[in-house]
Amino acid sequence: MLTSKTFLRKTKRGNVLKIVREHYLRDDIGCGSKVCKKCAILVEEQEAVLDDQLPDALSKAYKNPHYLIVDTNVVLHQIDVLEADVLCNVIILQTVLEEVKHRSSTIYKRLKDIINDKRRKFYVFVNEHHKDTYLEREAGETANDRNDRAIRVAVKWYDLHLSASQAHVSAKKRIRIVLLTDDAANCEKATKEGLFAASVEDYVCCLKDSKGLEDKISRSESHFDEGSKEIFPCHLTPVQIHDGVKSGKLLQGSFQASRENFLEGQVSVESFEKPILVQGYDGLNRAVDGDVVAVELLPEDQWSAPSEIVLQNDEVEDEEEIVEKVLKVETKQEKTPTGKIVGIIRRKWRQYCGILQHNALQNTTRHIFVPAERKIPKIRIETRQAPTLMEKRIIVAIDSWSRYSRYPSGHFVRALGKIGDKETENEVLLLEHDVPHSRFSEKVLSFLPKLPWIITDEDVAKRTDLRHLDVCSVDPPGCTDIDDALHCFQKPNGNYEVGVHIADVSHFIRPGTALDDEAALRATTVYLVDKRIDMVPDLLSSNLCSLKGGEERFAFSCVWELTPNAQIVGTRFHKSIIRSRAALTYEEAQLIIDDDKQQTSVAKSLRGLNKLAKVLKKRRIENGALVLASPEIRFYIDSETHDPIEVQAKQIRETNSMVEEFMLLANISVAEKIFAEFPEHAILRRHPIPPPSNFEPLVKAANYLGFEMNTNSNKELAESLDAAVKEGNAYFNTMLRILATRCMLQAVYFSSGVVTKEDFYHYGLAVPIYTHFTSPIRRYADILVHRLLAACIGADVTYPDLLDKKKMNNICHNLNYRNRMAQYAGRASVALHTHIFFREKVQNEEGYVLFVRKNALQILIPKYGLEGTLYLYPPKGMKQEVSFVYNEENHTQSYKNIVFHMFDPVTVQLTLDRSNIQHEKLVFKLVKPFIPNFSVSSIDEESKENVTRVEENVSEECGDKAGTSRNPVVLQQMKRKDEDFRSKDSSRKKKHKK
Amino acid sequence: MDLVSDQGLRIDGRRPKELRKIRCKLGVFAQPEGSAYLEQGNTKVLAAVYGPHQVRNRSKALHDAAVVNCQYSMATFSTFERKRRPRGDIKSTEMTLHLKQAMQASIKTELYPYSQIDIYLEVLQADGGNYCACVNAATLALVDAGIPLKEYVIGCTASLGNGDVPLIDVSHLEETMGGSNLTVAVLPLSGQIAVLEMSQKFHVDHLSLVLNEALDGCRRIYEILNDTVKNHLSEIGAISGWGKSDL
Amino acid sequence: MAENICISLAVQRVSSSVPPRGQLCKLFSPGEIIFPQSDFMRGHGTYPEDDVLKASVAGVMEQIGRLISIKPLKSRYNGEVGDVVVGRILEVTQKRWKVDTNSRLDSILLLSSVNLPGGELRRRSAEDEQMMRKYLIEGDLISAEVQSIYADGSLSLHTRSFTYGKLSQGILIKVCPALIKRSKTHFHNLPCGASIILGKNGFVWISPTTADSNSSGGFAQNLDQKVGKADREVIARLRNCVLALATNKIPLYSTSILHAFEESEKYLVSELLNPESMLDIAILTQHKIQMTEDL
Repeated sequence: MLTSKTFLRKTKRGNVLKIVREHYLRDDIGCGSKVCKKCAILVEEQEAVLDDQLPDALSKAYKNPHYLIVDTNVVLHQIDVLEADVLCNVIILQTVLEEVKHRSSTIYKRLKDIINDKRRKFYVFVNEHHKDTYLEREAGETANDRNDRAIRVAVKWYDLHLSASQAHVSAKKRIRIVLLTDDAANCEKATKEGLFAASVEDYVCCLKDSKGLEDKISRSESHFDEGSKEIFPCHLTPVQIHDGVKSGKLLQGSFQASRENFLEGQVSVESFEKPILVQGYDGLNRAVDGDVVAVELLPEDQWSAPSEIVLQNDEVEDEEEIVEKVLKVETKQEKTPTGKIVGIIRRKWRQYCGILQHNALQNTTRHIFVPAERKIPKIRIETRQAPTLMEKRIIVAIDSWSRYSRYPSGHFVRALGKIGDKETENEVLLLEHDVPHSRFSEKVLSFLPKLPWIITDEDVAKRTDLRHLDVCSVDPPGCTDIDDALHCFQKPNGNYEVGVHIADVSHFIRPGTALDDEAALRATTVYLVDKRIDMVPDLLSSNLCSLKGGEERFAFSCVWELTPNAQIVGTRFHKSIIRSRAALTYEEAQLIIDDDKQQTSVAKSLRGLNKLAKVLKKRRIENGALVLASPEIRFYIDSETHDPIEVQAKQIRETNSMVEEFMLLANISVAEKIFAEFPEHAILRRHPIPPPSNFEPLVKAANYLGFEMNTNSNKELAESLDAAVKEGNAYFNTMLRILATRCMLQAVYFSSGVVTKEDFYHYGLAVPIYTHFTSPIRRYADILVHRLLAACIGADVTYPDLLDKKKMNNICHNLNYRNRMAQYAGRASVALHTHIFFREKVQNEEGYVLFVRKNALQILIPKYGLEGTLYLYPPKGMKQEVSFVYNEENHTQSYKNIVFHMFDPVTVQLTLDRSNIQHEKLVFKLVKPFIPNFSVSSIDEESKENVTRVEENVSEECGDKAGTSRNPVVLQQMKRKDEDFRSKDSSRKKKHKK
Repeated sequence: MDLVSDQGLRIDGRRPKELRKIRCKLGVFAQPEGSAYLEQGNTKVLAAVYGPHQVRNRSKALHDAAVVNCQYSMATFSTFERKRRPRGDIKSTEMTLHLKQAMQASIKTELYPYSQIDIYLEVLQADGGNYCACVNAATLALVDAGIPLKEYVIGCTASLGNGDVPLIDVSHLEETMGGSNLTVAVLPLSGQIAVLEMSQKFHVDHLSLVLNEALDGCRRIYEILNDTVKNHLSEIGAISGWGKSDL
Repeated sequence: MAENICISLAVQRVSSSVPPRGQLCKLFSPGEIIFPQSDFMRGHGTYPEDDVLKASVAGVMEQIGRLISIKPLKSRYNGEVGDVVVGRILEVTQKRWKVDTNSRLDSILLLSSVNLPGGELRRRSAEDEQMMRKYLIEGDLISAEVQSIYADGSLSLHTRSFTYGKLSQGILIKVCPALIKRSKTHFHNLPCGASIILGKNGFVWISPTTADSNSSGGFAQNLDQKVGKADREVIARLRNCVLALATNKIPLYSTSILHAFEESEKYLVSELLNPESMLDIAILTQHKIQMTEDL
């Protein structure tokens, strides 16, 4: 059965190594066709995938029924065509599969999804290990040529093999193989050998019913711009790049396009502390956001600084001028390392949401697509469905970017829905942030417990019965997924017993089930303004796991004995059964605490908790925990139209902080416990200390106003922030805190085996070790922590993956990624609703200058937690009488005697600019101080009726990555509609950190 | 990277439960009492057995059993990068100890008081499962030397691919890319385990799964080796008249 | 010189062997059950376990009455009383020499088991003990006979016969002991002009035939005597023939060696070292033996 073949490979790793590996050739690999009886006997387990009854003459060109074999480039470039349901009965050769895997992991994943879709009937033929189709590479043959030959050999083998098993069928009816290849030479060779071969385009065009497949074809770049002038310099060859990177002449890094300026971006290189700036067409050289690129550092005298200009691609037609403008920017600002991109190492192209740009030409198939993400360039596509697509949000993929084309060319993938439609917009938002939001599959739901769910005696025997305790939960109004509850009473010895009871989600979600996999993939519940994307199905999140008042529920309890001084005397963990006496809101709880007449056990319990929480909080702040800020608001939403009708800031009560303190305490206690028990496998959360350079904007900003910021440690930073209070500008301190928040790094989950113990530190909370334990309903990390803790206390057993460092680390990466994306999605949702709110409205608002830029002021409006740009220079082509003077030293803009400093209060008028349907923009116009010919007159203060207070909250995850502090993007926290969603977590969780 | 493809094949084209091709030969040297050459895929090992003979260092002699002396060494050209020391490094010393343990489990040492049996092993090419190949080759050499054994000692490795698919007889590539490896040396007929080693932790749930595969692998290797021994015996036995000592 | 060097890769080497003859025997390998009952007497190469008799070596079964033993085809020399052996002195200690006879323990040659010059019945005095090195020192080769076997398995030798004693000029070849057949005599003066001692322990001694056979007994050693080229060539040829037979597992005894010697005449002595010619000789010898046996 085994034939052994060894082949040699030489690799360079300092020395030349000769690697000899075995390669077994087999005779038990089936062809996968139902037609073939031989192979069916040969391999019993393998299911024959390919149909024996094919629709006759699917294609106009090929009369025989046929299977398709595709080559690597077809998969890589035409994956969207392959994804279309029209193409079935396709054979994927292993040669192709491996090459795709090697070249692009995303496309590989998509291909695998297609293969796994039973309806599509894709069969993987392991030709490389089949004794008849394996090929030795010939002398002088390139790997590509060999693979092409291997593909042809496999096609030939299939043809012969199938005709042998169809000897009884007339030649015209026999199933044949059609090779799809876009390589003309390959195609020709195949035809010469008597095989059917065609390019994808030809094949699709010949299909009798192509269902719009033509639009999805990725066309080679030669369609565009032949003979036109070169816009971009050549990329270096892979070999040159490799050598360059190796010798240190070139640097490798990932490219991030600027959101503000389409001709600027930066490349983060590992060996450099600061990212390398790239500017202009030549500098960017067709890099798209996210690509891994090779960059060449320019000599120091050509270094420049990030331009302070906000440049949007939409207004610009004659780029020449702009390029000049951009490059000419000569500022005294500190120059940063500048380079130019000379080659692309790996494309990180994905599919992009956006709309078609209106085309003046009628009846053309060529269109320009404008992505929703500003960092992504416009894309040229060809489509015949333009009239219908004009109205819609669509998804497009990039195929290539030729040197002669200003924009990359791509192809249409699918339409999402009508522009402006709320559903569509949400869909766009979720897609752009890669949030898995499809409905839970049947398979996932099959792992849910059957209703009615009852607690059995067996359960009682295994758990500690805490039903006698007076447990209650405190949450925001309308909260349905209650994952924590508390109790507290004074013991005879004067100490307090405090218990935190967390929903026992890990009891219902068992490792290795589809339910678990799905939750691990989603990683977190995503809260949009008008929608919640659950991590676990509703039955669990809102019912069985939720610690509802009066219901008996499973919990994971963490019980301490605390001295009146809040020192921990002892800690216990156990799985328990509790019955919450009451599910209170923050407000109700506050009322109970304040009302001395209430002497119920719940009231006493709450007062005890409140007292202890204050001690805990004080101690925590003394230790250097930061109190940071980010504006947080909440929409009131019309129940009929689901449009926001009012915006209000959240109120923070003592009880918020009370619950928060105990959650922190529980998290810390659990972190210590699981780390002690599983030093290599504990899932923890750390918040890295930001590099000093991150604090520069904050320190500078404070310096302008004469305050000293000490950023050496979190404690000193906290103290400096406390000290920076400005008379007459109550909001100043808050703004500083907002700035401080942006200096922070992101807190991340990690597996304790992969990080040294010193790096476990949580900067924001100032604790040496931390984890997430208290919200298993909405965070997957907590479920893992629950499992670990359960194993620690012997309540559950471990399973292999839980103790696999590598796997856990991968899960952590996913958790971090999803969390970040969920946060961005939340913000984007807020931005969306802010825009909806301002439709048809013109309003005057108080705001503050957050940054002074060269051509604009960055304004923060606390009421809406909104940040926007007030342009001081007119749009191109318009004249403006007023011209401002920018003072770089002090970062001020002045006109005559009116000077704008940072943090100055201003009044602005807000309107929504809907001229660009894709990016509705809020336009800021100056009202106060009044500058003739520039300011607009104040509309009546009548719209002031909805007076709101802005609450500042400490944000846990507020830290943006370094560099984004320059971003004018609105940084807001999420707000939720009260009736439907609890918002407790947002405020609370944010508080935990920083 | 997955060690087992969706089509159920490993990187080199084997199925998870397939051994590599084993080729072996007895009596490859004239000088030692017993010798053997064994290939398991690309892992190639020579074994030579001297003895039993008088213990040279009298202080080490045992009055009731033979001393088993092993030496494991890897040829400098056996790995991708040239090895500097063929023996004496920590890894070789450890291997030597483990080999000794495995062989002692089977050799009927009690028959040879004051004697010594030397087993020399040389890895000519290393491609994973060196220890197992050595155990198997040493067994063959001992059989060739006519030294009484309880039964064969057979070594086999097993590992996990894709997290939960047990693989046997792992190659070097799989050893380095995959997770933990389990190595066993067993007496396959009675099922006793002489040596069991894991390169990293295994989860309890996986251990029995992997171990059973490894044991099964040992039994299959035993069949192969036993056939080789019988063929070898019948060949030389027939020529030499079955060792009948009288004319 | 250059043309004499011949190195062949393993893959090119002769892999065929002498065609087997005789019937197939049932073979046992270690751990295999010989008989499911244990009412047999267990001999060498067997051990009882769980009430069954198992083989501990690979080989054929020999049954003598109820005694079952498994004989390995190859092993160290297992001495039996009366065996003629060739050995090498390893050590000289009080009243005894230690001799390497290829058995698993060093054999003993007692001072009292040798014929000292001056008559068989001479008393051994302390003086003799001091003189032991005069007679035999480390490295000397002797021929001897197994006198008895000690409890630990080591052999006691004696040289109390004129046929035994110190060996002087000649060639020693070590072969597998199993290849040496027991016969009436192990000393042969071959017609081709050399003497050969087929030690039962697998040591084969080839020496020029001397006129005076008495001199071989005792401790005389004549290293000054010149051996003519013709003799040396015969000895070398004999050695290569023995080696050729041993390599191909053909039993060694006077007839087989003589046959081989005759067959080898067509080759130069040096050519006999090629594996091809060794195999050729082995096959021809085998054939010849078979013919004579069939007669």
